[in-house]
Amino acid sequence: MLQNIVNALVLGSSYVMIAVGLTLVYGILKILHIAHAGIYAFGALFAVYLYELGFPFILAILLSLVVSSFLGVFVYRGFYKHVLNRGRIVPLVMSVGLFAAMEDLYRLVWGPYKRPFDVYLNLPDIMTPSLYLSSRGVLMLIVTVIVVFVLYLLLMKTKLGKSLRACSNDLHLAGAFGVNTDRTIAYGFLIGSCLAALGGILVGLYDNTVYPTMGSVPSYKAFVVVVLGGFGSIRGAVIASYILALVETFVVYKLGYLLPRDAIAFLTMIVLLMFKPEGLFGKVQR
Amino acid sequence: MARRAVVVLLSVLSLLSFAAIKIGFFAPLTGPAAADGASALHGAQLAVEYINSRGGVLGQPVELVWYDDNFKADQAVNIAYKLVQQDKVAVVVSGSYSGMTRAAAGIYQQLKVPMISAYAVHPEIVATGEYIFRVGTLATVQGRAGAHLAVKKLGAKKIAILTIDNDFGVSLTACFKEEAARLGAEIVFEQKYPLGETDFRPLLTRIKAVKPDAIYATGYFSEAARLVTQARQMGIFVPIIGQEGYDSPQFAKLAEAGAANGVVITTDLNRDSEKPIVKWFIEEYAKRYNLDADMVGASAFDAVMVAAKAIQIAGTYDPAKIRDALASIKAGDVELEDFVTGFRGFTEKRESLRTITCQIYLGNRFHWFWEIKDPAIVTP
Repeated sequence: MLQNIVNALVLGSSYVMIAVGLTLVYGILKILHIAHAGIYAFGALFAVYLYELGFPFILAILLSLVVSSFLGVFVYRGFYKHVLNRGRIVPLVMSVGLFAAMEDLYRLVWGPYKRPFDVYLNLPDIMTPSLYLSSRGVLMLIVTVIVVFVLYLLLMKTKLGKSLRACSNDLHLAGAFGVNTDRTIAYGFLIGSCLAALGGILVGLYDNTVYPTMGSVPSYKAFVVVVLGGFGSIRGAVIASYILALVETFVVYKLGYLLPRDAIAFLTMIVLLMFKPEGLFGKVQR
Repeated sequence: MARRAVVVLLSVLSLLSFAAIKIGFFAPLTGPAAADGASALHGAQLAVEYINSRGGVLGQPVELVWYDDNFKADQAVNIAYKLVQQDKVAVVVSGSYSGMTRAAAGIYQQLKVPMISAYAVHPEIVATGEYIFRVGTLATVQGRAGAHLAVKKLGAKKIAILTIDNDFGVSLTACFKEEAARLGAEIVFEQKYPLGETDFRPLLTRIKAVKPDAIYATGYFSEAARLVTQARQMGIFVPIIGQEGYDSPQFAKLAEAGAANGVVITTDLNRDSEKPIVKWFIEEYAKRYNLDADMVGASAFDAVMVAAKAIQIAGTYDPAKIRDALASIKAGDVELEDFVTGFRGFTEKRESLRTITCQIYLGNRFHWFWEIKDPAIVTP
C-alpha cells in the first residue's frame, strides 16, 4: 500500500514537470503544443550527451536546461508565431509535424539506442522491509516540490507572473492594457520548455534510460493532465498529475494490464469530465 | 563532349555495379524498435562484407538492398512488393519483429521469393508456406528451453510470469507454461505488460507477495533492464529467467548497480566461443559500429550467410531454385564454422535446428552457463 502510494507520487511528479509547462503555454496561446514533448526528450538527451562528453553532472544539466529553454522560444518565434491568426488547427498540425521531425532528428544525431544516465548520486536510497525508494526517486520528489513552489512565487509575486496571468486571462485585452504580449508569450515558452527539459532529465535519471522517442507517451499523457486540471490552471495540472498517477498505479496493481496504463489515463479523464466538464480547476466557459 | 563521356562512363560503371547479386533486407530503422533495427542492419551489412571479402557468391559481389519498415506491418508489406518487383531481389532476409515479418511473409509466399526470418519467433511466420524459412529460434523451442532451465537447472517449483504483450512474449509464454506444467512446476502469477513499459513496481509488489522460486520474464533489453532493477530494489532476489530479447550489451548498461548480475537467459550468441567467425564478428562489430554485438545482429548476420550459401548451392539467381537450395540445407548437415550462432540447418518444416545455450550475466557480460542439446527439446 505504502509502496504503491510512494511509487505513484514519483510517477505523478514526472507528469507535473511536463504538464505544468504545457499548461502555461496552453493557458496563454490556447494551442495544443505537442512539440513540448520533443523538448522534454531533447532536455534529457542533450544532458546525457554533455555528461558523456565529460561535463560535470550539474553543469551538463544546467546547460541542457538553458539550451532547451531557448529551443522552446525558437519553436514559438520560428513557427507558431507566424500562424497564430490562422485558427487553432494550423498550429496543432504544425506542432504534430514538428514533434515527429524532432524525434527522428534526435535519432539521426544520437542514434536509436537507449542510453543510460550513468551518474552516481550521493543521496541515500530509502530502504525498509515494506518500502523502497531509490535516491533518484527522492530527487524527483524534492525537485518537483521546489519547482512548484518557485513557480507559484513567480506567478503570484513578480511582474512577469502578473503579465503571464493577464495574457492567460485574455491575450488581446492584456495587449490593449500595455502588456508586451509577444515577449510574455516567449517567456511562457522559456519557462515551460525549461520545466519540460527538467522533467525529461529527472525521468531519464529515474529510469536510467534516455532515448529519442521518450517523449511519445508524455506527448499525449500530458494533455490528459492539462485537460483534467482544467485548461490552463497550474494548480489543477499539479493535482491532476497525482490523481492520474495514483489511479494508474492502483489499477495496474489490482488488475494488471487488463487495459494499458495510457488507456486508464484517458478513461479517468473521460469519467471525471462527465461530472466536471470544465476540469478540476477550470473556469466555466461563457 | 567531355561531359557526355563522363555520363557514358558513369552509366557503364553503374551497369557494372548492378551486376552484384542482390539480397533484400528490411528492419525497423525508425520508430520504437529502431535500436534492434540498427543492430540487425549492422549484422546483415557485416555478413555482406564478410562474403565479399572472400570472393562473393558465384564469382560476383553481394549487395544488400535494405529498407526501413518503421515498425509497421503495412510498411513491411509495401517493402515486400518493392524488393521483389522493383529491385528484383531473389532472396530476402527479415531483420524485423514477428508482427512485421508475419505480415510480409504472405507477400513473399505469393510472389514466390524465399524469405528468411532472422530473429522473429512467432510460429505462424514459417507456417505461411514453403518459401518462408527461419534462422532464429522458434518460440516453441525457446519457451521449452526456458522451462527446462527454470525447473531442471534452477530447481524452481513456483514460477511467476511477466510477459511483454506482443507476438514475441505471448508465444514464448504459451510454450513455457506448457512445458513447465509438464515438468511439474506451478505458475503462481501471470501478467502481461505493454511494450515500452518502464514502471513494473505495481506488478512486482504482487509478485513479492506470492513468493515465487523464479520469475520468467519475456521482453526486450530495455524493459528487462527496468524490470530486473526494480525487482532487485524491491528485495526480490529469486532467479530471473529471460530469453534472447535480453541479449544486448545495452541490457546491463540500463540496469542499475549490478542488478543484471545473475540473470539467466536462453539465447544463441556465445561470446565465449572460440570459433574464428564469432571472434571476427564480435571484433569487427565493435570496431565498425562502436558498440558491442548483440543477438539480433548475430542472427541477421547468419540469415544473410544462409541466403548467400543457398545462392551458391543453387548456382543461379532464380528464386525458385534458391528456395530449393535453402530446403536442401538439412538439419545437422551444416558446417557450424560458417555461422556466428549455433545454426545447424533447416528441418522439414523450414525451422532452424540449433543448440540452445543458456547464459548468465556476471561481471560485465553474458557468459556460457548451460547448454541444451536434447533433441526432444531443441527440435522444433
